[in-house]
Amino acid sequence: MRTHHFVETYERHLALSDNPVTWSWTGALLVGLVVLPFLVGGYALSIAIAIGIAVVGAIGLNLLTGVTGLISLGQAGFLAAGCYTTALLIDDYGWSTEPALLAAGVMSALLSLLVGIPSLRLKGLYLAITTMAFSFIVTHFLLYAESITHGPYGVRIEDLDFLGLDLGSARQLYYLVLAIALITTLAALNILRTRIGRAFMAVRDHDVAARVMGISLTRYKLFAFVTSSFIVGIAGGLMAFQFRFINVDIFTVLLSVEALAMIIVGGLGSVAGAILGAAFIVLLPEITRSLLDFLPAAAAEALSIHIFEIRGLLTGLAIIVMLRIEPHGLIGLWRQTKRYWTGWPLSV
Amino acid sequence: MTAILTLDTVSKRFGGLVAVDQVSFSVPDGAIYSVIGPNGAGKTTLFNLISALFRPSEGAITFDGHRIEQARTHQLAGFGIGRTFQNLAIFSHSTVVENLLVGLHHRLKANLLTSALFWGPARREEVAARRKVEEIIDFLEIQHLRDTPVGLLSYGLQKRVELGRALATEPRLLLLDEMVSGMNSEETEDIARFILDLREAFGTTVVMVEHDMGIVMDISDRIAVLNHGALIAEGTPAEISGNQAVLEAYLGKA
Repeated sequence: MRTHHFVETYERHLALSDNPVTWSWTGALLVGLVVLPFLVGGYALSIAIAIGIAVVGAIGLNLLTGVTGLISLGQAGFLAAGCYTTALLIDDYGWSTEPALLAAGVMSALLSLLVGIPSLRLKGLYLAITTMAFSFIVTHFLLYAESITHGPYGVRIEDLDFLGLDLGSARQLYYLVLAIALITTLAALNILRTRIGRAFMAVRDHDVAARVMGISLTRYKLFAFVTSSFIVGIAGGLMAFQFRFINVDIFTVLLSVEALAMIIVGGLGSVAGAILGAAFIVLLPEITRSLLDFLPAAAAEALSIHIFEIRGLLTGLAIIVMLRIEPHGLIGLWRQTKRYWTGWPLSV
Repeated sequence: MTAILTLDTVSKRFGGLVAVDQVSFSVPDGAIYSVIGPNGAGKTTLFNLISALFRPSEGAITFDGHRIEQARTHQLAGFGIGRTFQNLAIFSHSTVVENLLVGLHHRLKANLLTSALFWGPARREEVAARRKVEEIIDFLEIQHLRDTPVGLLSYGLQKRVELGRALATEPRLLLLDEMVSGMNSEETEDIARFILDLREAFGTTVVMVEHDMGIVMDISDRIAVLNHGALIAEGTPAEISGNQAVLEAYLGKA
């Protein structure tokens, strides 16, 4: 059992972790992430990139839905806005990649004001439906405003480099995504330990009390929308870098539901939870696919035709199972395990 | 003694219902002032008017020389008015420390960018805020609960955290809505002691809505009695306990 863990300064209280063991494991994980492209093949690397992008998007959504309690089914819309902004600025307007990626965040943040301001008084299901409607409007616009968005033909972008990284190489794209995911993680953790993050949580837990504490609901709900959508927009921009050819068909309601699934399965309100959940949901179909290999060839054949439906089914199943066994998600399981081993052999 | 809070013929109507009916009284600076009355007398509505959750249908509310009846709720903490709620209004997923830190919200200045970077001024103000919170934790004797999520605490302790959160706003006027309802006598005595101590330590004026006559008569300097939304008596505890109208409101006519 671990004892004698005393904190002697307020600075140490405020540290993300004051535990050298945690820091050394985090360091080991970072080293692992840096050397990963040299250890795995192209397919695994593309999955790692997808996880990185999902992590950015999930952290963004988590700030809005997990921390501030504003349920959004509009993730696909914000991702689409970011993705198309980057792709179109590069393809049609000749922007370089760096400002085009930033513009993805800005565009998505501006659009979030458009949906945020009219829905300030909405909560729960009503907000979920409003944000879903927003997502439909975005995809509809992308499909029919052909002169701006290329409509059903989609957008293709070629040979890119970002701050000297050649994005045509999966390895270098991976490093860009990794860097942005790390920056996002750190920024989110920092926001959560200062007044802004606490105000978000206060709005979620008790909005009347939050107002009496001097928190303007209007301001902080809009802050949450803007911050969250900026991050999600960046994730959308990264999707453009990964896919190279983008089409409105990717941005379905299922994508929004999967994003919600990430933060629920990971653990609402927790940055680490969003990371775990994003990895879990992206890996889920891959795990299914490898499980299919164990089935008799005929059964595997039959099931693989329906891989898309199976994927949706598994996402739903993951949410249900998670809510049933551990409402605090994967991060809740992790904390329980940690508590058990910290207290061992006295824990029950 | 000068008045810190003055209500001048304040009324609040909800449709045909007159919840607060032309109430006027003044709370002296530094006083412990109780508002009592039978259920449904309009006490909580009156509190919601003072803390700008409702706007009065008519009348004026003056705090420290400024009219506040048209203010926005989130401005009140900045003016120096803190409050607790009749039913718990804590942030139950957050720890005790985090709850108290929310009380300091309006005194901190970090914006989204400095928050995200956690650099320089943002870090320094967090350290200062943490120090301030520790003072309140010491004052309320909840050192051992610092990092406990508030949702896991007993009712009495949750109320104590809520009091601490209101204190963290550094109020000059503290509104306590039925602080001791549902508490046992030991917890009630603790709260009475905290109220007396905090006036002593911070010079805070306290206005409380209360059903527990023991605490009201013991620690109040003055008492206002509401019935059916109207003020039927106002005075010192001794005056109130002998007042015929008050006895009739509570017990009915003989």
